[in-house]
Amino acid sequence: MAHVQIRNVSKIYADGTPAVTGLDLDIAAGEFLCVLGPSGCGKSSTLRMLAGLEEVSTGQILVDGDDVVGRPARERDIAMVFENYALYPHLDVFANIAMPLVARRRPKAEIRDRVGRIAGTMGITEHLAKRPGKLSGGQRQRVSLARAMIRRPKMFLMDEPLGHLEEYMRIELRREIRALHEAAGGTTFYITHDQEEAAAVSDRIAVMSSGELQQLGTMKELIERPANRFVAEFVGEPPISIFEELRATGTEVSIGDWRLPLPPGSRKARPASAGVRPAHFRIAGSDMPGLSAEARLVQPMGESAAVLCDTPAGDATVIVPMAAVPREGDRFRLVAAPEHVHFFAASGRAIRSGED
Amino acid sequence: MASMDTSTARLAPKAARAPGSLGTGDILRYALASIFVGFCLFPLYMVLSTSLKAEADIFAFPPAWSFRPIWDNFNDALFVFGGTGVMPFLLNSVIVTAASTAAAVGLGAMVAYGLTRFRIRGGSHLFFFILSTRFAPPVAFVVPLYLMVRQTGLMDTHLALILIYTSMNLSLVVWIIRGFFEAIPVEIEEAAEIDGYSRLQIFFKVALPLVKPGLITTAILSAIMSWNEFLIATVMTQNKAATLPVYLGGFSGSMGLEWGPYMAVGAIAVLPIMIFTLVLQKHLVRGLTFGAVR
Ligand SMILES: Nc1ncnc2c1ncn2[C@@H]1O[C@H](COP(=O)(O)OP(=O)(O)OP(=O)(O)O)[C@@H](O)[C@H]1O
Ligand SMILES: [Mg+2]
Repeated sequence: MAHVQIRNVSKIYADGTPAVTGLDLDIAAGEFLCVLGPSGCGKSSTLRMLAGLEEVSTGQILVDGDDVVGRPARERDIAMVFENYALYPHLDVFANIAMPLVARRRPKAEIRDRVGRIAGTMGITEHLAKRPGKLSGGQRQRVSLARAMIRRPKMFLMDEPLGHLEEYMRIELRREIRALHEAAGGTTFYITHDQEEAAAVSDRIAVMSSGELQQLGTMKELIERPANRFVAEFVGEPPISIFEELRATGTEVSIGDWRLPLPPGSRKARPASAGVRPAHFRIAGSDMPGLSAEARLVQPMGESAAVLCDTPAGDATVIVPMAAVPREGDRFRLVAAPEHVHFFAASGRAIRSGED
Repeated sequence: MASMDTSTARLAPKAARAPGSLGTGDILRYALASIFVGFCLFPLYMVLSTSLKAEADIFAFPPAWSFRPIWDNFNDALFVFGGTGVMPFLLNSVIVTAASTAAAVGLGAMVAYGLTRFRIRGGSHLFFFILSTRFAPPVAFVVPLYLMVRQTGLMDTHLALILIYTSMNLSLVVWIIRGFFEAIPVEIEEAAEIDGYSRLQIFFKVALPLVKPGLITTAILSAIMSWNEFLIATVMTQNKAATLPVYLGGFSGSMGLEWGPYMAVGAIAVLPIMIFTLVLQKHLVRGLTFGAVR
């Protein structure tokens, strides 16, 4: 278990690609941190710098206060799960899982004991004598998780460990990963691009874009207080409805025919766009104040449905319980509580009440 | 298995014929292949059959297809012929071939690994330069090599041939094994690094086992080259370290060629390398890295 501090870390590859820029990230000892972000935003680069597989261009990585930059991977006391498993194909499952212990010259009896125990936990005991080539994808990833979990390292690094698996397998394994994290008491750095998975396993989520940290917080904070328009749009399913054309008059702002009080923080930065999450919209009668809308498309999602609407301010999506779903062509108004309407400055930064 | 047979039968009407019966096209193809194989193997047949023939049978024309095999020629070749027999030359060949093959494959694997895994300035050009050492015909190097061997006092020693053969084979070994190393997903080695292995341990415990087919292939090719090399051997060795090809070459130079023992020595020269190749070939497994990564 270790306290990990990433301080102003940048990574520029030999070909000049800036993969990570001025990243600051503080991971508490024992924390499960998820990294979320679009493809190519620098998630793997960050993880590989933590692992020591990639050099840090500038900045520091402190593990329990020690700067580990420049230290080879094998001296960093870490375990890693690769997206594509990276098992030793010439060794059987037992030897694969035992590798980190064999490398540290643990006694034979201890190795047998610990491999047996972790194999039992991961449900792969009957495969111990097989080579990885004889296993299914899910079994292979279990082997690679077992290999990572056999020790209690300072840090677990996982790069989309469940990315290649079936949905039901992902849900099962992510529960086990979380349980193993708690049992091992490790600090975990976990990359995924599945938001639901991130919410399910993590304590906090770091959202990255173009090599920079956008926001760090719980899923609830990312949903309710997005730091900028990127986070608002990237996090949340179905995506937030964004309204680009705002008219500000005195102390009020209108989104189409919907008039709202200007957020207090907007005295300096004028709001350039606004967003409301589909779950925060409600449907009200046409005589109520709100955004007039006409249902265009109803997409059932189990117990509720996402209704795509035409409004004078552009497209908007609202989530409605199945029992109250409007018909396509129905007219109504969309309303939302003022704290659920997010305003963004032209730079994309969120304008918050209480901030100036 | 059974289901696969029926499906291929359905897809390919030709395969639906009763097993064992051949179409005209098949017969023609097999006939052509047989002629070609016969053409290639005939010299080997002549060597082996002549080595077992008595003098009268050897010169019979048309050649005697059936004859009473005798072992006299082998007896001559092994124990009598030329006073010393073939044994010392056979031993020299084994020593030189084994040592130069082991050295070429061992060094070559290390060079190839280094060049594929570490960023080296001009690394990709290095591969080209390494292979370019084989562009010139070996005869072009004979005189400089001869001078070097003489200056270093290595004339007529095993070491001279071992060093020269190793350097001749090295380029081929590096070139071939490099492809095998490049086929190893780099994540496997990164996993080993994280698991706590040093670079040298990764090389021996992870990388080398995964390029075993490459090691075997290059070992076979190197051994065949060293075993059969004549030009360098005949210049650098006279008797103490002379190899089988040198000994064989001596026959045609002498007056009145003794065909029987000559062919017996030829047969003796073919067998060891053939057995070596057949044994190693068994270990040429494909798909060693299967299952490592998704
Ligand atoms: N070895 C490399 N050399 C040069 N550029 C690289 C290298 N590795 C990654 N990059 C570039 O760095 C940027 C970040 O890559 P990275 O792999 O960290 O993204 P990622 O967030 O993990 O993406 P994904 O979700 O697709 O895995 C990308 O633009 C990528 O093309
Ligand atoms: Mg990645």
